[in-house]
Amino acid sequence: MAQVHAIGGKDLREMFAAATKWLEKSAPEIDALNVFPVPDGDTGTNMLLTMRSSIEEAYRAPDNSISAVAEYMARGALIGARGNSGVILSQFWRGLAKGMDKKDTLDADGLVEALKGAAAQARTGLTNPVEGTIITVAADIAEAAGESADGGKKSDLVGLMKTVVSAAGDSVARTPSLLPVLREAGVVDAGGQGLYTLMEGAMRHLAGENEVDFKKPHIIISDIPTKLPQSLSAVDEEPYGYCTEFVIVGEELDPDDIRKKLEKKGQSLIVVGDKERVRVHIHSLDPGSVIHYATSRLGTLHQVSIKNMDEQHLDFLEMQKERLPVGDIGIVAVVAGEGLADVFTSLGVGAIVPGGQTMNPSTKDILQAVEHVAADNVVILPNNGNIIATAEQVKTLTKKKVSVVPTKSIPQGVAALLAFDYEANFESNIELMTRATSQVKSIEIVRASRAAKFGGCTIKKKQPMALLDGELITVADTLDGVLLKALSKIDAAHLSVFTIYYGEGVELAEAEKTSAAVRERYPHLEVEVVKGGQPHYNYLVSVE
Amino acid sequence: MLKIVTDSLSDITGDLADKLGVSVVPIYVRFGEKVYRDRVEITTEEFYKRLEHGPILPTTTQPTPNDFAEVYKKLAKETNEILVVTLSSKLSGTYQSAVHAKEMVGGDVRIEVIDSQTVIMGLGLIVASVAKAAKNGASLEEAAALVRSAMPRSHSLMSFDTLKYLAKGGRIGRAQGFLGSLLSVKPILTMKDGEVAPVTRVRSRAAGVDYLYNFVAGFSKIEGLAVEHATTPDEAAALAERLGKLYPREQILLGNVSPVLGTYAGPHVLSVSVLHGA
Repeated sequence: MAQVHAIGGKDLREMFAAATKWLEKSAPEIDALNVFPVPDGDTGTNMLLTMRSSIEEAYRAPDNSISAVAEYMARGALIGARGNSGVILSQFWRGLAKGMDKKDTLDADGLVEALKGAAAQARTGLTNPVEGTIITVAADIAEAAGESADGGKKSDLVGLMKTVVSAAGDSVARTPSLLPVLREAGVVDAGGQGLYTLMEGAMRHLAGENEVDFKKPHIIISDIPTKLPQSLSAVDEEPYGYCTEFVIVGEELDPDDIRKKLEKKGQSLIVVGDKERVRVHIHSLDPGSVIHYATSRLGTLHQVSIKNMDEQHLDFLEMQKERLPVGDIGIVAVVAGEGLADVFTSLGVGAIVPGGQTMNPSTKDILQAVEHVAADNVVILPNNGNIIATAEQVKTLTKKKVSVVPTKSIPQGVAALLAFDYEANFESNIELMTRATSQVKSIEIVRASRAAKFGGCTIKKKQPMALLDGELITVADTLDGVLLKALSKIDAAHLSVFTIYYGEGVELAEAEKTSAAVRERYPHLEVEVVKGGQPHYNYLVSVE
Repeated sequence: MLKIVTDSLSDITGDLADKLGVSVVPIYVRFGEKVYRDRVEITTEEFYKRLEHGPILPTTTQPTPNDFAEVYKKLAKETNEILVVTLSSKLSGTYQSAVHAKEMVGGDVRIEVIDSQTVIMGLGLIVASVAKAAKNGASLEEAAALVRSAMPRSHSLMSFDTLKYLAKGGRIGRAQGFLGSLLSVKPILTMKDGEVAPVTRVRSRAAGVDYLYNFVAGFSKIEGLAVEHATTPDEAAALAERLGKLYPREQILLGNVSPVLGTYAGPHVLSVSVLHGA
């Protein structure tokens, strides 16, 4: 593949004109990712409009030096910036332009420096920079570019841009681990995705790829465990107010001072610019006071835009419906223990009701969870024999269609959950899930709460004992011992997986030791150890 | 006589393509700067050897409009009717390339391009069925109608070991909900509305094979059946043996999934495709 060692202003403009087209193709998908700072679903569109303004201005540059074109592109981005992400993008461009100042052409070292400046500049103007957003992605890009240059091998801009794109993709994939609101919604950061897409488009153009016309950018998918977007309205209950944006043109303007004055008037405040031109973006319940302040003291206002974000949010929710995983079927599970709750959530449960052995939830608790789930048809997994009847009562108390799959243990609950068939309707799923419960055996290991006699043998107080599907089958002096004894009572010929959930009183190291003993005894089986964190039971073991 | 064209993601290659009289346009597989034509310059075995042991992760690229145009021009010497059936346009730009190529061919040859909305033998069985009809003298219109009627009757079920590769390649579609599970599970996926869609999850490889078998057993009338694998021929052969109870063993197509799919599926994908009767 051809290498490129330096680019001029015309190349820069063409690269980002191509990148803007590339971004255009996935702007609607990026809109749909937008949950932070306000889920109003316009990040992709805002970044696109900002870039269009930037490219338009690029053609007005007095010459084709990289410094002139970059300066005009940064100015265009600032004038045309829309929304949070657009304003931050305009700052990114301002940083890039500073790095290219007084240069005719740009080489790999120059690009590394410009990217560093862009990452730093993107943070300025923000009163409260939040990680897991476009600013993090910009920082990661700059770092990766710097490391690549330190390696000494890259004078090739194509190679450098590939490193940048790859780092941007990885960084976007990490955003849900940095920003909880993304994790809850099961998405990556929209602004970060937008920056990744721009860089990718630029790289493809620079590399001379001619297939760009027939392709489409893809949205980064994170494999960080997410909560599925069952109930988007819970992201934030506060009213959003009005997204207010304008450019102030005046003399001797001071962005820092303006920022200070506006800080108390709303949220998501961004103030950027220079002495003659300042762009303001704020989410305010009283846009009138913001406009009044700007017009009475500062100068003339341009490109004024005031949007009702509550309306935008409703549109956004409509847009999000497609992303909901199961559509019209939601699942509620009764689970005790943080680890088990995470396991159930990661497998698609919409609401968890805390409860289990010795802590049975009320009908009301389960009813609330059923009402909370964003689906009209709801499956309840009680996961305990004593809770099935309680769960059944919910049916008569709600307008939703409710069915209880009578799971008597956690392993049965997991088996039922996994059997869920995305292609099947509600009734068929109830059947499939119910059938699945009979294909798993549950072993519960617990210490005796008092001394007792059982089938001729004596159980001492606190001695570990094992229950197989609710029946006491054996006792031993150690947890490992009782588990192995219990397993030996099951015909292992047709088994394939043991899953061991360790409870709140058990350390990981201890659980690993136990599972090692099980693996040694049953080398042909898969043995998985998972933190259950459940009270009462030291181990819950699923045998299937 | 009407000629049939497809792409290499139909998994119709080599002898089978010759036997059916189908022209196959290869998709490109790229390792770094080396580009290979699917099953022309790289075999499935070589591909997986490099995927598992090589330093670079592969990417794939659709055929160019010119690749299709060359095939059209060659066929135009023998026929004035060409039917092109491509993999799902939601997964690749191959369909667009095939459509754009129409403008690059002069003369009075009539070309119709259909987006099959599916992949692998789900597409392959449709192509095999229409290729037979073409040999029996079907016109372009009849053949196109046949393809459209076969599309909703074609189903592929794929058992994956991991969704890692699919997510990295950005082709995960609605199966996204299967990501991030805290238990190790083997996802079963299908093609729905042209996209990869989730079906269910099982805990073990054996349970996955059983699921594929039971899926096929659910059809009362089977017109075509295929079993495919990436690196596990014995497992695929054993499944085909079992399926012999449901459909004549000698008519079951047993093959390799395309390296192009392997890029997204990883090394242990196993699939069945069924074309069921009307």
